[in-house]
Amino acid sequence: MIDISELLDAIKSSPYREIVVAAPHTGRMSFAALETGMCVHGPQGQWKEMPGTTLGTLEREGNPKPICAPENGEICRIHKELDGGFVEAGAPLVVLRHMLTRDEVQRIILQKTLYLFRAPERAKYYFTPETDKKIRATDAHSVTIRDGMELFIMSRMKREVPLHYAGPDGVIYEIYFKYNENLDAGAPLIGVCPRDHLHVIQDMIARVQTEWTET
Amino acid sequence: MSSAKTGNILHNHKILVANRGEIAMRIMRACGKLGIPFAAIHTAEDAASGHVLLARAKGGEKSLFRVSSYHDANELMSVADEAACTAVHPGYGFFAEDFRFARRVTKRDRKMIFIGPSWKIIRELGDKINTKRLARSLGVPTVPGSDRPIYDEMEAERIAKTIFEFQEQQGITHPLVLVKASAGGGGMGIEEVYDPDQFRSVYRRVRNYALRQFKDEGVLIEQRIMDFNHLEVQIVSDRTGSNPVHFGTRNCSIQSTGLQKRIEVAPGFTPQALRYSFDAQKVLDDIVAYSLKMARSVGYDNVGTWEWIVTRKGEPFLMEVNTRIQVENGVSARIAKIRGQGGVDLIAEQIRTGLGEPLGYRQDDIDFEGVGIEYRLIAEDPDSNFTPWVGRIERFDWKDAPWLTMLTHVPDKLPYEIPTEFDPNLALAIIHGKDIQEAKARGAAFLDSLSLTGQNDSGASLKSNAAFLKDNTERILLF
Repeated sequence: MIDISELLDAIKSSPYREIVVAAPHTGRMSFAALETGMCVHGPQGQWKEMPGTTLGTLEREGNPKPICAPENGEICRIHKELDGGFVEAGAPLVVLRHMLTRDEVQRIILQKTLYLFRAPERAKYYFTPETDKKIRATDAHSVTIRDGMELFIMSRMKREVPLHYAGPDGVIYEIYFKYNENLDAGAPLIGVCPRDHLHVIQDMIARVQTEWTET
Repeated sequence: MSSAKTGNILHNHKILVANRGEIAMRIMRACGKLGIPFAAIHTAEDAASGHVLLARAKGGEKSLFRVSSYHDANELMSVADEAACTAVHPGYGFFAEDFRFARRVTKRDRKMIFIGPSWKIIRELGDKINTKRLARSLGVPTVPGSDRPIYDEMEAERIAKTIFEFQEQQGITHPLVLVKASAGGGGMGIEEVYDPDQFRSVYRRVRNYALRQFKDEGVLIEQRIMDFNHLEVQIVSDRTGSNPVHFGTRNCSIQSTGLQKRIEVAPGFTPQALRYSFDAQKVLDDIVAYSLKMARSVGYDNVGTWEWIVTRKGEPFLMEVNTRIQVENGVSARIAKIRGQGGVDLIAEQIRTGLGEPLGYRQDDIDFEGVGIEYRLIAEDPDSNFTPWVGRIERFDWKDAPWLTMLTHVPDKLPYEIPTEFDPNLALAIIHGKDIQEAKARGAAFLDSLSLTGQNDSGASLKSNAAFLKDNTERILLF
């Protein structure tokens, strides 16, 4: 049994993570008026319809693309030496210190409590069309899976092979991959919760909600 | 390539090598031969690839750029502008047969040259359906089946039923139907149907695959002709489009279960050395004549390949036209010579004519000598349906010989982690012999000398298709 108090204490001792905002593609970079120590906001709104604080603009083929803060945080480092120059894809632009939110803490704890079915190899993963339909029609929590069930399509090197789920029967509680995203071997694909443990998970979530205060 | 022929047209050009791996390396080397500077690209996953090392060593300043994807046209254009490139070579795959990309390159504010056929020709012949219609209009035989992409399941079933019935009427004991992603290429997204009752599930699987991989769920339904040889005709033409020549035929019949080519041989048949149940020389002459007829009719203006299947009775059917340089162009070049110039580099020819130089020779000036075999060395498991193998290469050695050309992006310094984002191709080994027997013997000797080992994180040893290539060497060109 997981000791949730211990887990929360461990997270509280280092309640932030560093986020490196990198150039999503090549282009000419112009930074906004930023200073180290400045607080920035991530996307906001019910559907995150308001973009985060603009960190700069990356122009490519005449199209300026705003580079926004992906999360709330404090600016630790700005790569000002790139200002006005041509940057390559993946070049680090800004480093943010982001304080963990309640939802993120909840996700960390869930990863430790749910049964994680992991990517066996570096590849792109998709749900099989039948499962995909069920998840879209209802939601993942109502989709029951069983050991040995053909659940994913693993796509790598342009070849697709079916991937069977191996683990306890239960519902898909969390989905950790995105469409068309390349995952490394060992990365979690889904978090599975046996139906009779659902109440335990709900209790844990309630505790995080009450015990974690956002700064 | 004579230096006299590389005239003023090539000066002041710089080429963006818009590809990766061994084809990127061949393009860079061809640029070197022609004295044309280049810029290269790579993604984060490819940082250790041989093409990155070569670009760093030979490209000079501003010659290598990290991009987010090889598939992002904006990315390529911004790099081309930054590096002051005047032309883009797409290699094979990615944008090579994308007419929209070719059109964009040539029509944007800062215009560049697309090294490949003009975008209108790619649009016309890159589409399997259009190609089929054009071929039929010129009297060129094509495979029986649908001549447009099918999006409707009921219609697909009707066509499949007709093809099954047609084969039964022909007395074919095991009729088969092929379901292909219309937008696919290179053997991707193709499945066979043995049982009419299974058609619907196969159709749905191919349709879903096509939608995921090519963003178009159209499929083609054709008769699967069994027991055939897969031949190709290599065409080269200059920008006038009026004087195409051919660089012979290739036989690509030895394939993996996924209809992926594994061994290619030039020429397509050797009637002088082997006995066929039909007039093999006439078949070769016919497919070359048909291919040139189509090339002339559309004003084909660069390098391209006409793909054919030839049945056991010696009937040729056009499958498709690949409006690009192909993986296997090197094996055709290996057996060809241009009178007064010597050996051929088809990529250099593609660049030279693509930039606007006239071809400078006629069909009569091209001679062919001996037999070439190309092995595709791939990290895959032939015992498990040729599933790609993921992991690290720790040793990759072979015995050099004057008759062997190795093309590989695997760097000399090992270990090398095979990126999972692309095909698991490791190398192309091109072998030359004075005749088929000598070429086969040398091929077997090369494979015997090959040492290829590695492992992955789960401790599994590298699996490659080397044994499959060796087992199939004896089958080469036998019908």
